[in-house]
Amino acid sequence: MKILVVDDFSTMRRIVRNLLVELGFSNPLIQEADDGESAIAMLRTLPFDLVVTDWNMPNMTGIDLLRAIRAEEALKGLPVLMVTAENNRDQIIAAAQAGVNGYIVKPFTAITLKEKLGKIFERIAASGASA
Amino acid sequence: MNLISPLAIDDTLPAELRELLNSPEGPAFEQALDVMVRQREQHLFRALGQLARDLHDAVRRLGGDLAQEGVPGIADARQHLQDALEMSAQAAHRSLDFAERMRPEAESLAHNAGEVLEWTNGNDAAAVLAREAVQFADNCREGIADMVLAQSWQDLTGQRIKKVASFIGTVESSLLELVRLTGALAGSETPAAVKVSSQEDADRLLSEFGF
Repeated sequence: MKILVVDDFSTMRRIVRNLLVELGFSNPLIQEADDGESAIAMLRTLPFDLVVTDWNMPNMTGIDLLRAIRAEEALKGLPVLMVTAENNRDQIIAAAQAGVNGYIVKPFTAITLKEKLGKIFERIAASGASA
Repeated sequence: MNLISPLAIDDTLPAELRELLNSPEGPAFEQALDVMVRQREQHLFRALGQLARDLHDAVRRLGGDLAQEGVPGIADARQHLQDALEMSAQAAHRSLDFAERMRPEAESLAHNAGEVLEWTNGNDAAAVLAREAVQFADNCREGIADMVLAQSWQDLTGQRIKKVASFIGTVESSLLELVRLTGALAGSETPAAVKVSSQEDADRLLSEFGF
């Protein structure tokens, strides 16, 4: 599974990568971008199966990245998991309305990450089976 | 009922005021009063004019300094925050280096101990040690994962540091703008390149008041 981790903090990208590896995802298939702008450019040129993104980033924020993904025909079905310190109600609603697949508030545990990823893939499998 | 006593004309009053109060003529009284008030106004205008000049000079000096060097201390403050951000990132990365180095070692210990268990009868000293090693390796992996996650403090504190740095930037630009506007009002040569003529205008305006 090809995963794109988007965060402006290199430490956070590395932490998420470590946790994903711990959960059994392949390290070489995980790539990183430091803001929404570089992420969308990578998504347009390389195939990915999942995006894990922060909210608060320079140039293009996570919510704008999510909206950009949903607005593009080739990318709109891509699962997006938001991992962010932004925990106010309006922002969570905004993310839900923009079509986020999962929302994790930092700081989080490996168990939370595992649960949310599990739910995302369950729903994808269910919608794939019913389609 | 007490009548309000008329103003006592005694020696404590200035001579000119005493003379004025004793004057029987109305117009003369008015005229003399006007002269006195005007004299007082002159003092006030002179003081205000001096204040305006001092302020104008101070703003001009400050505007010039700020344009060249920025608000004193703010560049340093921003640099300190940037340093704190970089140092904390380095520290977090060092911990992550350690975690990434130790995880495969723990995995390999668990694997090797597992192999030992397959070759023993399960009750000898080697088997006991191997089982302990497997348990230890599992505990290590769990601890390493927790430690990795704990490094997210750097991201959480770093975001706050960035917010403070950006707030300081806003304060600095507001302050510079305030100085620029004040300078413009005072007609000085501030960073926004107010015309030279306005300096002359300001001087002329001030000189009209006799300064």
